[in-house]
Amino acid sequence: MEEILQVKNLRKGEILRNIGFAVREAEMVAIMGPSGCGKSTLLYNVSGMDQADGGEVMLGGHEITGLSEEERAKLRLSGMGFVFQQMNMLSHLNLIDNIVLPAVHADKKHQKEYYSRAKELMALFHIGELALRRVNEVSGGQLQRACICRSMMLEPPIIFADEPTGALNQTAASEVIDAFLEINRTGTAILMVTHDSRVASRCERILYMLDGELQGELTLGKYTKEREKEREKQTVRWLEDMGW
Amino acid sequence: MNRRLIINSIRAEKSVSAATCIFMALSAMLFSLSILLFAELSDSVDRLMTTAGTPDFLQMHAGELKEENIRAFGASRPEVEDQQILRFLNLPNGILSIGDASLAENTQDNGLCFQSGRFDLLVDADNRAIQPGKGEVYVPVCYRAEYGLQAGDIMRIGTETLRVAGFLRDSQMNSMMASSKRFLVSEEDYERLKPFGSEEYLIEFRLYKGSDLNAFSTAYREAGLPQNGPTITGPLIRMMNALSDGMMILVILLVSVVILLISLLCIRTLILTQLEKDKPEIGMLKAVGISKKGIRDMYFSKYLLLSLIGCAVGILAAMLLAGPLSAQMRELYGDPGHTGLIRLLALSGALIVEAVILCTVSRTIRKTEKLTAVEALFLRGSIGKTKNLFVPVGIITAAAVFIMLVPWNMKSTIAAPEFVTYMGIGKSQIRIDVRQTADETADLEETLGSVTDSLLKDNRVADLSLMQTGSYQVNLPDGALYELMIENGDHGRFPVQYTEGRYPESADEIAVSILNAEEMGLQTGDILKVRVITDDGTGPEQFEILPLRICGIYSDVTNGGKTAKACLTDRTPVMWNVIYLSLNEDISPEEWVREYKERFAGTNQGVRITLISDYLQGTYGQTIRNISNAAAVSCALACLVLFVVVLLLLRLVIWKERQDSSLMKALGFSSADLKRAYLKKMVVSVFTGLIIGIFAGIVPGQGLAGLLLGTMGAHGFRFIIDPFAVFLAAPGMLLFAAAAAAGISLREVSRIRAFECLGVYRN
Repeated sequence: MEEILQVKNLRKGEILRNIGFAVREAEMVAIMGPSGCGKSTLLYNVSGMDQADGGEVMLGGHEITGLSEEERAKLRLSGMGFVFQQMNMLSHLNLIDNIVLPAVHADKKHQKEYYSRAKELMALFHIGELALRRVNEVSGGQLQRACICRSMMLEPPIIFADEPTGALNQTAASEVIDAFLEINRTGTAILMVTHDSRVASRCERILYMLDGELQGELTLGKYTKEREKEREKQTVRWLEDMGW
Repeated sequence: MNRRLIINSIRAEKSVSAATCIFMALSAMLFSLSILLFAELSDSVDRLMTTAGTPDFLQMHAGELKEENIRAFGASRPEVEDQQILRFLNLPNGILSIGDASLAENTQDNGLCFQSGRFDLLVDADNRAIQPGKGEVYVPVCYRAEYGLQAGDIMRIGTETLRVAGFLRDSQMNSMMASSKRFLVSEEDYERLKPFGSEEYLIEFRLYKGSDLNAFSTAYREAGLPQNGPTITGPLIRMMNALSDGMMILVILLVSVVILLISLLCIRTLILTQLEKDKPEIGMLKAVGISKKGIRDMYFSKYLLLSLIGCAVGILAAMLLAGPLSAQMRELYGDPGHTGLIRLLALSGALIVEAVILCTVSRTIRKTEKLTAVEALFLRGSIGKTKNLFVPVGIITAAAVFIMLVPWNMKSTIAAPEFVTYMGIGKSQIRIDVRQTADETADLEETLGSVTDSLLKDNRVADLSLMQTGSYQVNLPDGALYELMIENGDHGRFPVQYTEGRYPESADEIAVSILNAEEMGLQTGDILKVRVITDDGTGPEQFEILPLRICGIYSDVTNGGKTAKACLTDRTPVMWNVIYLSLNEDISPEEWVREYKERFAGTNQGVRITLISDYLQGTYGQTIRNISNAAAVSCALACLVLFVVVLLLLRLVIWKERQDSSLMKALGFSSADLKRAYLKKMVVSVFTGLIIGIFAGIVPGQGLAGLLLGTMGAHGFRFIIDPFAVFLAAPGMLLFAAAAAAGISLREVSRIRAFECLGVYRN
């Protein structure tokens, strides 16, 4: 598999110190570490939401650190997807309108097709019947799955997720992580920041960060339901070794 | 989807959207209303003056007249297009009544005339020249409402009667500011009624377009032609026609500009607060890659829709309001001609206002562009500088007081007895004019002697001063010759207001009116050489040139505004006399005036007694009523605006601080404690606004109103303030509006729950 994201010597003040790593196509990678270690900063800098002080970020073969704000916005629109801890959606629109919003903004001509795709995605993530509900009429887990649908609208090669289960209870978190596994199975790479070792154990690889540097890496391989408990134990042991 | 986004966003923020729309509609309405009224007024006046053929130069004259000299002068001037001499039969008001109403208290020079054959036509409601039949009279249209007249009423002139056949528009004397009013009768009736009054002449010229009116006036004066009476020019007539209603329009325009500024500030504050509230959503939009323009368009399209609604409502309201507000204008000057064009202008006005508002909206929305997606997502950084919402409340309170006070102060200034001193009339209770009449049996000096004798013997008279006006030839500093009306007497006793310098105290001093100073390019300290007659009247005429130093400049609207004041005692013939007097405190001036009017009634001696307060009411009553209307409208607007602003901004503050308030409640503070804290801040900002507003309404407001009143001829005036209105009524009304709005808004505090601070509060 080719690398979809390559990061070399990435620097941002005292928060990120010469970080380097890569994510392959259709790979699901988690970044873990204590609060304040720079996980989210790393995510926002490799996704072009924030401007790094130095280093190189290659996304799909294109260097993105030198792009202007508008160019980076364009890249975020079609070249990647985003899922946040706070399930930010426009409160004045219903779920399906929120889901198609970025896609329609990118290409107004195919509005109809986008709505069809949104319905398919919603059905896939078991929220098909909520299409016309307002944002404040659904649960946190349902809302986060709608956010995943939104990130998948333009079939980006990679999705960045910042604590996607952080504001959810355990059941909702399981539903959301299942949704991520589902889209990963379709070939989309995922780079996710998480505090939750159970969520991280579903990923193929875990990167551990401390004080702005990558301290270690655990490779678990593709997730299978059968090895779930074993992966969880392995993850916890490794994290303890890393000083978690 | 965009449509849903806009409609849902408007629905979700009903009060904010409604307030934004109200501000947009108010601004559009006021601006388009002032354009509508202004265009209608100027078009109506233009149409009337064109149809009637208003003269460009008019010299009133009481006394003998040699028509052939005037005709010869007219024929010799290449700029004269047409000329005529009209006759005007000045009637004593005491012998006039129409229907049940007597004109005895009327302060105008009322008289009869018959239709002109050439120009200066008196026209009917359809702007057609009127030809009255025998026994018929047409009454100036301005008296219809004032005296409740209708066709068929009987007008009595002494022992004679005429039937009111209709009402007339007089293109030069329609305005109450014009001091004469012409009643139209047939030539036959005119001749029959001649013994009841004294005849004056209106010497009128129409000039070709582009002619130099000043050069013509000077040539007329230098030709030694009759000039025993005021000179009036086309521009002055146009100004008087436009002013009494124009003043109201200018006040509305002033209010509309302030309301627009309030709207801009308010809408900006609302948007900034909205954007601050939407920061996480904006962050999300940025994060998922929506472009700056995309985000801007999402917000802008909502305000575009609100603006379209506001604009439509504003224009509709302006059209509806224009009807009653222009009713008087239409009665006086007729319907405007280019209604389509006028409406188009009003529409453009509203569109310009909306464009200005939308520009501000766009600039405010652009502030989101400075935030990065990460800053917005994590609520770092701030959009704009509107942190403390009590600051806009204070500013808007000040603006509300300002738009309330300026029209009020203008009204109280014009209505105050002192106002006449800004118009060139001494501050006294009573004014008596003694003028030469056409009646050759009446001797001016004898009449004056009998009047002054009566006054000197009358112990009810506390003080009096005689002013005598004559026409003098003067040499300007640049050597040019000029014919100047100089009023001689003791100017210190009942002084007028001087915009510069002071009144003349000695025989080598002179004060000139602003119009003269401007026309002749004079300043205080300049020397005017005046030709005075020094012979004793028995031998040949002797004269000498006296150098007089200009000691003061004053504003004046009497006699066409071109006057001068000095203390000369030479033998230059007196054209008219004015006696200013005041009575002892316990004497009723109304009764005194009635008694003296009776004493001199029916005589053709040219004695006219005017109570200054009646004069003010008669001349400026119409303007005062118009400004009162404008003041009432601006008062209601100010209260409405402040109510909406306090209601809205206080709600926004409560919303912004909801988390903190919830925490305070969790810590044991009660709703009443929180409300008290909000009230304290609100009271401080409203009171600060009131104080600034009162100051602004008096000091800069005086300058602004000065510009408006300057167009009326009153220069350099100071507000004559009604303390009750300024310091009690206006702040009281605004405080009531603010308190009512605060009461409603603060109810929201009781709805905040202590547990809200524990989680993210969502509507």
